[in-house]
Amino acid sequence: MNPITADRRHFEDLALGEVVQLGRITVTREMIVSFAREFDPFPFHLDEAAAKKSLLGGLASSGWQTAALTLRLLTDAFFNRIAAAGGLGVSDLKWKRPVMKNDTITGTARIVELRRSRHHPQWGVLTMELDIRNQNDQPVMAMRFANLVETREPDATEPGLSP
Amino acid sequence: MTRWFEDITLDEAFPLGSHTFTEAEIIAFARAYDPQYFHLSEADAAHSHFGGLIASGWHTVVVGQRRMVDALEAEEQRLRGLGQQPGVSGPSPGINHMEFKAPVRPGDTVTYSLIVSAKRPSNSLPGWGILTNQISAVNQRGEPVYHAELIAFSKLRDFRMPVRLRLLEALTNIPGLGKLLTQRR
Repeated sequence: MNPITADRRHFEDLALGEVVQLGRITVTREMIVSFAREFDPFPFHLDEAAAKKSLLGGLASSGWQTAALTLRLLTDAFFNRIAAAGGLGVSDLKWKRPVMKNDTITGTARIVELRRSRHHPQWGVLTMELDIRNQNDQPVMAMRFANLVETREPDATEPGLSP
Repeated sequence: MTRWFEDITLDEAFPLGSHTFTEAEIIAFARAYDPQYFHLSEADAAHSHFGGLIASGWHTVVVGQRRMVDALEAEEQRLRGLGQQPGVSGPSPGINHMEFKAPVRPGDTVTYSLIVSAKRPSNSLPGWGILTNQISAVNQRGEPVYHAELIAFSKLRDFRMPVRLRLLEALTNIPGLGKLLTQRR
């Protein structure tokens, strides 16, 4: 047994439809510029004047930064409380509205699918839908992602499949 | 930045360069954005099925974004060197899908490339086109690390704004009236 995750909720403890409320974070000008300098140095994420003239209409965070901050909220609220074993991927990620400087983002993650791995009985695949909003309750980002979660009883047969 | 929408060729691979991930930067990214035990400490990570420290998948992906922005900037400089006016890249509306295929460990070198697989003029934003970008990343053994299909805006060079849009733009540039018009949306 993995001593790090032994006391956490495992795959069997998760329920379809469960909704995780995420914390909140305010995105400052300094955060936007420092993330953009390191990972996404388009002029419209670095400079107020260039940002005003761009499609974003003002200084806004990189969509990648919105995703990274959301990952942080999700790790604190959920991944570090379950036996999470790594991400598999993302689909239908939509940046719906720019996150402008001083906006505060929060949101929910909902479990939309749970299935045991066919080839690896020690894992289940957790699929969640994220709905991230700003302080005015306007959607800023949505995505669907899949993550591995350790099973408590690797040898248990899936109920619907037992002979 | 980069080429105009009209000049972007489909299915041509653009090398975006490489990045070697150090243990220090893997941990720094994880502390800020993805503090799961297998991204934070070699000792704790040894208990995971990865058997050791690995980079957050999102870390490998945002470094890929950095490599792409640098490559677009280099293409802009190349075009300027040829006496041409470069095109304009816009922000991205989303990611169709992205799969993490192999973990990245300290010392691994990841090489990124970009292929534009489709393009079309935008329906919602006059004067802009929409690109489908395929980003692939492989490690030093040639194993795929991740693949992502991203959507991106790119400005049209040969765009003439319809009269009604030019009129609207002129009206919105009048102080007061412009504010009234844009608030009515």
